Amino acid sequence: MTLYFLKDIRQHYNHRTVLNISELALTSGNIYTLTGPNGAGKTTLLNILSFLRPPSSGQMEFNHLPVTFNAACLQKLRKSVVLVDQHPILFSTTVYKNIEFGLKIRKIPHDKRKQIIQSSLDMVGMKKFTNADARFLSGGETRRVAIARAMACSPDVLIMDEPTADLDLEHQMTIETIILDIHRQKNITIIFCTHNLAQGARLTSHHIHLFAGQIQDHNHENIFKGEITKIRGRHYCRITEKVLIPTPATDKRETKISIHPTAIRVADKKDAEPGLTILKGKVIGLSEDKERIRATIDVGVLISLLMEASEYDVRNIRINTMVDVEINPDGVTLF
Amino acid sequence: MIFFGDSLISALMLMFTLDSELLDIVHVSLNVSLTSTVIAGIIGLPAGFIISTGEFPLKRALITILNTLLALPTVVIGLFVYVLISRNGVFGVYDLLYTQKAIIIGQIILIIPIMTTFTISAISRIDTRYRKTAMTLGADQFQTALVILKEARFGITAAIVAAFGRVISEIGICMMLGGNISGYTRTMTTAMALQYDKGEFVLAIALGIILLSISLAVNILFTYFQGKSTG
Repeated sequence: MTLYFLKDIRQHYNHRTVLNISELALTSGNIYTLTGPNGAGKTTLLNILSFLRPPSSGQMEFNHLPVTFNAACLQKLRKSVVLVDQHPILFSTTVYKNIEFGLKIRKIPHDKRKQIIQSSLDMVGMKKFTNADARFLSGGETRRVAIARAMACSPDVLIMDEPTADLDLEHQMTIETIILDIHRQKNITIIFCTHNLAQGARLTSHHIHLFAGQIQDHNHENIFKGEITKIRGRHYCRITEKVLIPTPATDKRETKISIHPTAIRVADKKDAEPGLTILKGKVIGLSEDKERIRATIDVGVLISLLMEASEYDVRNIRINTMVDVEINPDGVTLF
Repeated sequence: MIFFGDSLISALMLMFTLDSELLDIVHVSLNVSLTSTVIAGIIGLPAGFIISTGEFPLKRALITILNTLLALPTVVIGLFVYVLISRNGVFGVYDLLYTQKAIIIGQIILIIPIMTTFTISAISRIDTRYRKTAMTLGADQFQTALVILKEARFGITAAIVAAFGRVISEIGICMMLGGNISGYTRTMTTAMALQYDKGEFVLAIALGIILLSISLAVNILFTYFQGKSTG
């Protein structure tokens, strides 16, 4: 069942369009990731989906009912959707009272509140912190309590803005487990944005890629800023003193580029084209991504490439080995 | 020094024997100061909240004017209110001059800028995420405002304490609008000035001790609650 339907949604700040979505439908009960570079409009979209901010223009339906963007309508809809901020803040009181806040607003009877608070904290493994002062919790604990506070409200949709940002690996895994547990137990719609593509792939197959405020059919990765330079008739973007990325012909000077991960390949030393299109780098990460292999290579900057499993077998790439990397300029987007 | 010591001892005797004149003066002072603080709070705290959280033209100009009014001399307020409530003034028919109400009106004008600017400062220091969090948890505008006020409670308490301290210790308004009538509009500060004029220091010293004790007690209470809450 379609839960959200967005049509021609635009958001402007200071005469600049930061979000421009022609159409987006989200089905209830799914987990969605929202990915994209900084400034792509992820947080703006999350604020609109969580009814915290009306868009500048466009139509929206929630549960098949049109959303009128007046204060009363938005406040009513906010009772079905809860956003957990990137850096959530807890009220300066106990963990118990933090979670009780949403229940009081929903006029849940006093005797039921305690039970809901305990089960919400239990879900995130924070039951022993029930009476703790919320100001003295660590970053990971604060995030777990914020999720419990949101879940206590029994929302139809849980929205999270980079729920694992700035957390160590252990806490990241804990939050991922909590997200999957919530989805399994409550079957609610979960939307979260992340920069960690591997994390997104682990949690769901539903991805929304935002780039420059628009939904893209593929994910923009390997985003860099540099200066366009012309060498022997070819255009390059100079990212650092030593790193030159071949680009399509352009008149731009300063630009941002994104390199599609399939446009980067590990070149065989024999068939490698000599010249500036070859970059030498060290393999620092390997992972599986939808039956393909994703490699992260340090060529002076970190780049991520995708290759078929068969190619991976042939190339015999290992962590910490040096490789030659070739970039196809057709896979480089300037913006 | 001996004279001061004798006066101090006599002053303490007045206090311990609960001298009726002394009690009357303290009662009038506390009555007008607390009333003006409460009324100024009812006006100044919401005004500070609205100015701090709202977006409207000339907001910065308004804050600058309020900051300037912090330095408003009490005699200027005394004179201004006197003109309005004296027999020939606009509000002369209400017969307010030389009453406790007149003192209260003057003191409200004196401390509204203090209440408002301190509240603006306290609210603007509060993390904007509190507002967003309250809203996403389903709070309406009023409930969201309560969350922000609760988080800013120490700054707001400081505003009330500062305002009370200002009115309990001021003399210009009490003298010009109250008239220093014994048992009716004689406050601690006006009584102290009168005793000084008469060269009688015993009552003046006793009142000085009480005035300082009240200020100290209020500040100790404020620090206690602040410490208790910040853990």
